[in-house]
Amino acid sequence: MGDAFCSDCKRQTEVVFDHSAGDTVCSECGLVLESHSIDETSEWRTFANESGDNDPVRVGGPTNPLLADGGLSTVIAKPNGGSGEFLSSSLGRWQNRGSNPDRGLILAFKTIATMSDRLGLVATIKDRANEIYKRVEDQKSSRGRNQDALLAACLYIACRQEDKPRTVKEICSVANGATKKEIGRAKEYIVKQLGLETGQSVEMGTIHAGDFMRRFCSNLGMNNQAVKAAQEAVQKSEEFDIRRSPISIAAAVIYIITQLSEEKKPSLKDISGATGVAEGTIRNSYKDLHPHVLKIIPSWFAKEEDLKNLCSP
Amino acid sequence: MAARRNNPSGIVPIIQNIVSTVDLDCALDLNHIALHSRNSEFFPKRFSAVIMRIKDPKTTALIFASGKMVCTGAKNETQSKLAARKFARIIQKLGFPAKFRDFRIQNIVASCDVQFTIRLEKFACTSHGAFSTYEPELFPGLIYRMKQPKLVLLIFVSGKVVITGAKKRDDFYTAFDNIYSVLAEFKK
Repeated sequence: MGDAFCSDCKRQTEVVFDHSAGDTVCSECGLVLESHSIDETSEWRTFANESGDNDPVRVGGPTNPLLADGGLSTVIAKPNGGSGEFLSSSLGRWQNRGSNPDRGLILAFKTIATMSDRLGLVATIKDRANEIYKRVEDQKSSRGRNQDALLAACLYIACRQEDKPRTVKEICSVANGATKKEIGRAKEYIVKQLGLETGQSVEMGTIHAGDFMRRFCSNLGMNNQAVKAAQEAVQKSEEFDIRRSPISIAAAVIYIITQLSEEKKPSLKDISGATGVAEGTIRNSYKDLHPHVLKIIPSWFAKEEDLKNLCSP
Repeated sequence: MAARRNNPSGIVPIIQNIVSTVDLDCALDLNHIALHSRNSEFFPKRFSAVIMRIKDPKTTALIFASGKMVCTGAKNETQSKLAARKFARIIQKLGFPAKFRDFRIQNIVASCDVQFTIRLEKFACTSHGAFSTYEPELFPGLIYRMKQPKLVLLIFVSGKVVITGAKKRDDFYTAFDNIYSVLAEFKK
């Protein structure tokens, strides 16, 4: 339903859009104003069951504005069943060897997609990471860099910018081969490049232990009470002068909370595995936290005697 | 030597290291130098320079075949120049026509203590965030890149501050004055 100018009636008339035929028809005189209009909604039949060669989907994926031509291109596929046809196989070879300005980009995007899948990240973060990579790649100076570390750093920055930070160790675990140091260096490089490009627009807040609490707790299977107590404890601990990395503080708080709860207590090894913090570091952070434990742990979670029973470091 | 600056707190940064370079203006045979002097080491596969050390002032020099020399470890501008002269003298005694051209101090590292703990996360969030880098996962200190004078300060939670990148003593005195007034706001 809408209004358009009908050439027969020579005035603005009400116009009906017929979806089934794709026609725009004037309701007064019946003149077809536009026919065969292109439907821009998504494919309404889904083919999850059908696999194999004849996939009847008529549309491809969404256009990607980051790629040079929006991702629209035709690729000659390798024929199945090994046809000995000389022409089709060499056509495929020639197409792939041809200058494809986006090849590196597509490969990088694929790697980022793999890494974010392994971490279970949402598409927003993945798209952000792609955008960051494209911006860095636009400046040619990044050629000689370790690609894996660069991509991992893009993902790390994307997570930070979306306020869902991931520890460098977590990113390390999905980036094949990149070490913490390399990712750190790549991250500094990217921040500098982005700062040069758009005068200091890189906004990244500092990490806090509370950001990681939910994730670490669910990795260990703690119950809701314990999770809430842990989050409160971490908030309170920021007021005290504890000179430790926020991740180590988080791990130590989890250790204290789990020691206080009645359920099955994870060992230091389990906590070390879930948080990525070394056992020795958790022990040392526990030593630093212990003097303040009364003030940090919420009173509704544990009583004073329990706290006194807590093994002293 | 410039007079000591009057900082309201009375804290003065202390120089820990000075790096300087000088051109001896003649080609050197590093093998000959390494063989004929006691206090030097030369491993061409590892690094293509002779590493020579003297006891007083306690300094180390990297001597390159082109005749350029880097002198590190001195705690004082005069000591750095004196040490460089001593190294040049050693090279002269070994038979090379060494001169003393373009003595320049490249970097001065100084450290001090502001005597109070600092809230680094708050500091990085303010208007100074554009110049600071604070990544507790990567490095426990906040890296502050000051624009005027152009140098780098490492600020730690304990209140210790390391200033590096200065070419003159006055530079880091100014830098410390600037940073002290800012840091006082973020006392824990």
